[in-house]
Amino acid sequence: MNKLNHIISVLLLIMLAMFLVSCEKEIEIDLPDAQTKLVVEGNIEQGRPPFVILTKTSPYFEPTDINSLQTLFVSDALVTVSNGTNTVQLTEICTNQLPDSLLPAVAELIGVSLSSLQTFGFCLYTTLDSTIFGEVGKTYSLYISSGDEVLTSTTEIPPLIFMNRYWYKDQPGYSNFGYIWFELSDPPQLGNAYRLYTKRLGKDGRFIPIFGSAFDDQFFNGLTFEANFGRGKEVGSQAPDDLAETSFYYQQGDTVIIKFCSIDYYHFKFWESFEAAAMSSGNPFSAPTTVTTNIEGGLGIWGGYGVTYDTLILVD
Amino acid sequence: MKGIWSIVLLSVLLLLSANNISAQNYTVSGTITDATTNEPAVGATVYIKETRKGTATNDKGFYSLSLPKGNYTLVISYIGFNEQEIPLELNKNTKINSKIEPAVINAEEFTVIGEKENQNTDEAVMSTVELKMDKVKTLPAIFGEIDVLKTIQLLPGVQNAGEGNSGFYVRGGGPDQNLILLDGATVYNASHLFGFFSVFNADAIDEVKLVKGGMPAEYGGRLSSVLDISMNNGDMKKYRVDGGIGVISSRLTVQGPIKKDTAAFLVSARRTYAGDLAQPFVSDSSKFKGSNYYFYDFNAKFNYILSSKDKLSLSGYLGRDVFTFKNSDDGFELNTPWGNSIAALKWSHIFNDEFYGDVTASFTDYRFKVIAKQDQFEFGLYSGITDYNLKADYTYLPSILHKIKFGGAYTFHRFTPNSAEVSSADVEFNTGDVIINYANEGALYVSDEWDISEKFKIQPGLRYTVYQHIGPFKRYINDERGAPLDTVEYGKGETVKLYQGLEPRFITRYAFNDKASVKASFTQNYQYIHLASLASVSLPTDQWIPSTEVTKPQFSTQYALGYFRNIFKNKWETSVEVYYKDMKNQVEYKDGAMPQDDSGTNVDNNLTFGKGWSYGAEFFLKKKVGKINGWIGYTLAWTKRQFDDLNNGKPFYPRYDRRHDASIVFNYEISDRLILGATWVYASGNALTLPAARYIIEGQVVNEYGERNSYRMEAFHRMDVALTLKGKETKKFKSSWNFSIYNLYNRKNPYFIYFSNEGNVYNGSLDIKAKQVSLFGIIPSISWNFSF
Repeated sequence: MNKLNHIISVLLLIMLAMFLVSCEKEIEIDLPDAQTKLVVEGNIEQGRPPFVILTKTSPYFEPTDINSLQTLFVSDALVTVSNGTNTVQLTEICTNQLPDSLLPAVAELIGVSLSSLQTFGFCLYTTLDSTIFGEVGKTYSLYISSGDEVLTSTTEIPPLIFMNRYWYKDQPGYSNFGYIWFELSDPPQLGNAYRLYTKRLGKDGRFIPIFGSAFDDQFFNGLTFEANFGRGKEVGSQAPDDLAETSFYYQQGDTVIIKFCSIDYYHFKFWESFEAAAMSSGNPFSAPTTVTTNIEGGLGIWGGYGVTYDTLILVD
Repeated sequence: MKGIWSIVLLSVLLLLSANNISAQNYTVSGTITDATTNEPAVGATVYIKETRKGTATNDKGFYSLSLPKGNYTLVISYIGFNEQEIPLELNKNTKINSKIEPAVINAEEFTVIGEKENQNTDEAVMSTVELKMDKVKTLPAIFGEIDVLKTIQLLPGVQNAGEGNSGFYVRGGGPDQNLILLDGATVYNASHLFGFFSVFNADAIDEVKLVKGGMPAEYGGRLSSVLDISMNNGDMKKYRVDGGIGVISSRLTVQGPIKKDTAAFLVSARRTYAGDLAQPFVSDSSKFKGSNYYFYDFNAKFNYILSSKDKLSLSGYLGRDVFTFKNSDDGFELNTPWGNSIAALKWSHIFNDEFYGDVTASFTDYRFKVIAKQDQFEFGLYSGITDYNLKADYTYLPSILHKIKFGGAYTFHRFTPNSAEVSSADVEFNTGDVIINYANEGALYVSDEWDISEKFKIQPGLRYTVYQHIGPFKRYINDERGAPLDTVEYGKGETVKLYQGLEPRFITRYAFNDKASVKASFTQNYQYIHLASLASVSLPTDQWIPSTEVTKPQFSTQYALGYFRNIFKNKWETSVEVYYKDMKNQVEYKDGAMPQDDSGTNVDNNLTFGKGWSYGAEFFLKKKVGKINGWIGYTLAWTKRQFDDLNNGKPFYPRYDRRHDASIVFNYEISDRLILGATWVYASGNALTLPAARYIIEGQVVNEYGERNSYRMEAFHRMDVALTLKGKETKKFKSSWNFSIYNLYNRKNPYFIYFSNEGNVYNGSLDIKAKQVSLFGIIPSISWNFSF
C-alpha cells in the first residue's frame, strides 16, 4: 500500500523536522545544460480513445510563464496506437482552437481542471476512430516519431477489479470530516496494481487522484482487507476547502464518485516513483528519486486503465 | 642495495642464533606504575643511561630489556612525571618495578596530548594517532563535554560525514570502513543524535587510538581505519565522583575500589533532555512541534587483579536513543528506540617477562526499530546486527630486537536487514519472510616489529581471514518486477558461501636521527560486512549486511609514505603523509531503489557493485607544550567510484569526496584557572546530485537528474569556542564552569539543496526556486563540571 511509502517518507521527514529551523535561503545555481528529451503523458481507458500529450524537457531555470511553458508542446509528430489488430494514427488538436463548449469534455479527458484549460492551451494527439478505443484485456502499443527521435511503448488494460464496498466514517475528533474506507479482495497472483481517483459532485471539475493514488499488492496479495484514503487536491488549488486544515479529509454530506482502476505493473511503477518524488522533494533523507518511465527512447508514461466507477454519499 | 641485504642476512643469522646470544645476556624487566593512581604508565621510556638504548612500556606498563652482564643505570622517563634513575647490577634476570611520581606541573611543560617524547618519530606505526582523554579535555567542549569522534575529526585524513550526519570518513572510505572498538568489542553505530554526540562518554574513556593507514596485522575486518577505544579502569585506591550538568545534557561517573588495590569499578551515565535540545530548533509554526527526543547511555567497567600475573576486566555499554513523535492532526504516532548494547570480558595473563597476552570475549548488539501507528495501521520497521566474538592476542619478545605479536579472532554475526511488519486492524499484511543472515568470521595473524638496526625498523605482518555465510538462509531469485521466480534454501549450518584471503601488512621506519624519520607502509585488507545506505545522508536506517554469494567482500590495497619531524627541541611535531588506496567490491543501492524494495527479498538483490580509489596528502603541525598549544591539520584528497550500473558506468565522486579539509585547534591557558579553547574547521563542499532538466506530468514538475554527484555545495566552515573557568580547588572538591559556543559566527553551512516548485503550472504562477537548507546556527551552552 502506498501507506508504507507515505510512512517511510514521513519518518524520514520527521528526522529532518528536528532540525527544521527556518534556515532556508534561496540561492542561485548554475546547472549544466542537458540534452532535451521527449516526454509522453498518454493513457487509454476502456471505451475511450487513446490520447497522448507530447512535450519535451526544458532546462531547469527556464522561464515558467504560460507562453514559455506552451513552447514545450511538440507538434507535427507522427503518433500511432495499435491494439494488435488495428493501427490508427492520432491527430493533433490544440485546445485553444476548439469551441468553448467542448472544453469541459476535453478537460475530463486530459485530466486537468476546466479553469486550467481556459488559461492554458494544450496540444494533444487523439482520434475519434472507435476501432482503437480501449478494450479490457488488450495490449496497446504506442509509436511516436518526431524529428530524429523515435519513441515506443506498450501498456495493457488489465481485467477490471471491483472493490467489495465503500463507506465513510468521521475521523475521531471531527464531526464532519473523515476518510473514505473500502474493502478489497486482491486476486491471488502477485502483480495487481491500482489507481484511485475521486470526484466530489459540485466541487471537483474532474477526477482527481487521491493522496498516494497508486499502489500494488506487494503487501496484501490475495488478501481481503480494509483500508482508507484521504482526498487529493487539484494542483495549485486556492479553494478554501483545499487550504483548510481539513483539506486531507472528505466532508460528510458530499456525494463522491470513486474511480477505481486496475493498471499494469510498469504503469504502476511510474506513478509510484512519481508520487514518491513529489513526497520526498525537499527531503534530504531520500536519495534523488528518479521517476521511472515505460517509454523507450524518452520519458513519461503510456498507461492503460481498467476503470470501475462507484458513487458514495458520505454519511457516517 | 647490497648493504641492505647484508643487514637482513646478518639479522637473520642473529635471530637464528638468538639462543646463543641470550645465553650471555640477562633480562631486566618490570612494571612501571603511576604512584598516585596505581595505573600502569603506558608508553614510558625505560632506557640504559650508559648505552642510551631502551624501550617503551606497553599498555600494561611492562618493559623488558636484554643486556650483557654488567653495571648500569636504568632511567625511567615519562612526560608529566619526575625522571627516575635506578642503579642496576645485572648478573642474572632481574625484576625492577617502579612507581613514578607526577612532576609539579610547570606551565611550560603542560602538554595537550600526553605521549612519549619522540613517539612521533620513533615507532614504526604510522598514520596512527593516540590520544589520552584526560589530556584532551581542554579542547572546546561543545555542550559541555569533550567528544571522542569530534576530536578525531579534527585530525588530517579524518573527515566529518557532514553536519547532522553520524559517522566519519577516513581517506575517502565510507563510514562502514572504520572499525570502532570499545575495550575490544565492536561498536556498530557510534553516534547519537545524528552525529552531534558520539556514544562515548569522555569521562569513562582512558585512551583513543586511531589507525588511518599502515594497519598492523592485529587489526582487520575494515578497510579504512581502526578506532580503538579503551575505557578507564576504576580507581583502586579511593572513590571518586566526576560529573557535569549542562543545559543540553548531564553526566555522572562514579568509581572506586571494591577491594583496595585489587578490584575496582567505574560506572558512568549520561542523558540529554529533549525539550531543551529541540526547543531552539523547532519553530512555532512547524507542524512537528511537540516531538520528543532524548538519549541516555551507561558505561561500566569492573577490573580485578587476580594475581601478579593475571588481571580480569569486564566492560559494558548500553545506549538508547528514543524519538517519540505524535501528530494529533493526522492521528499519527511514532516511536524509534535504537541503540547499542556492548559487553566485553578480558583476561590478561603474563606467562613470563617475554610472553604475555589477553583473551577477550565480547558481545555487541545494535538495533534500530521504528514503530508507527496511524489509525488502525501499524508499521514496524526494524534492523540490527548482533556479534559474539572471542579473540586472543599475544606478545612475545624473543630478544631486544624483536617484538612478535600473534593471535586470532572468531566472530559469529547475526544480521537482521530492514524488515517490515505491517498490519491494518486485524489483517496482517504480507511483507515477506524476515531473512536473518548468519556468518562466521575468523582471523589469524602474526607480525614482528623488528629493529634491524638502530635506525631501521620493519614491521612485517600477515593476517589470514576467513568468512563463511551459513544457513538457515533463503535466496530469492526474482524476475525484473521483483516477483519471486524461485527460491534457494540453505539449511542450518550449511555453507552458503566461503571467502578467505591473506592480508599482508608491511610497515617500515627509517630514523635519520631521534628527531626525524620516514615511514612507509603497504597493507591489504578484506572487509566482510557492509553498510547499505539509501539516502544521500547517513541515517540509522542504514543497514549492516553480510557478504553472501551475491555480495563479495570488499578488498583494499593501501600504500602510504610519511615524513615525521620534531622541531624546536621536540616542542613542535610535524608530519606529511601521502597515500593511495584502491578499493574493490564497493556497495551501493541500484538506481531507483526504494526502502520497501527490501521487504520480502534479499537486500543484496537491490544492490550493485563497483570499485573506488582514493589518494591524497595530509599535513600536520602540532605545538605540544606551552601556554598556547594546539595543532593545524590539512588534507588534500580525492576519492572516486566507478560502478557499471550507476551514472552510465562513468566514474563519479561519492559523497565522501572532500577536496580540502582543514582544522585548527587552539588552546590558550590564560591563567591557572582560565583556559580558552577554539577550533576552526573547513571542508570543501559536499557532492550532490541535482536535476539537470524538468518536465511536466499531470500539472506537476518532475525532475530529470543529471550526472551523479556532479554538483558541489559551498564550502563548510565553522568556529567553536569554549571557555573553562576552574573553581577553587580543594583537596576534596574540584569544579569548573564551561561556556561554549558552537558555530561562533553563525555561518549557515549548506546541509543540502532542493528545488521548490510553487504555484500552478497552468495559470502562469509557477515559480521554481533553488533553496539551500542549513542545520545549526549559533548554539551557546553552559555546563558545570565537578569532581570529588
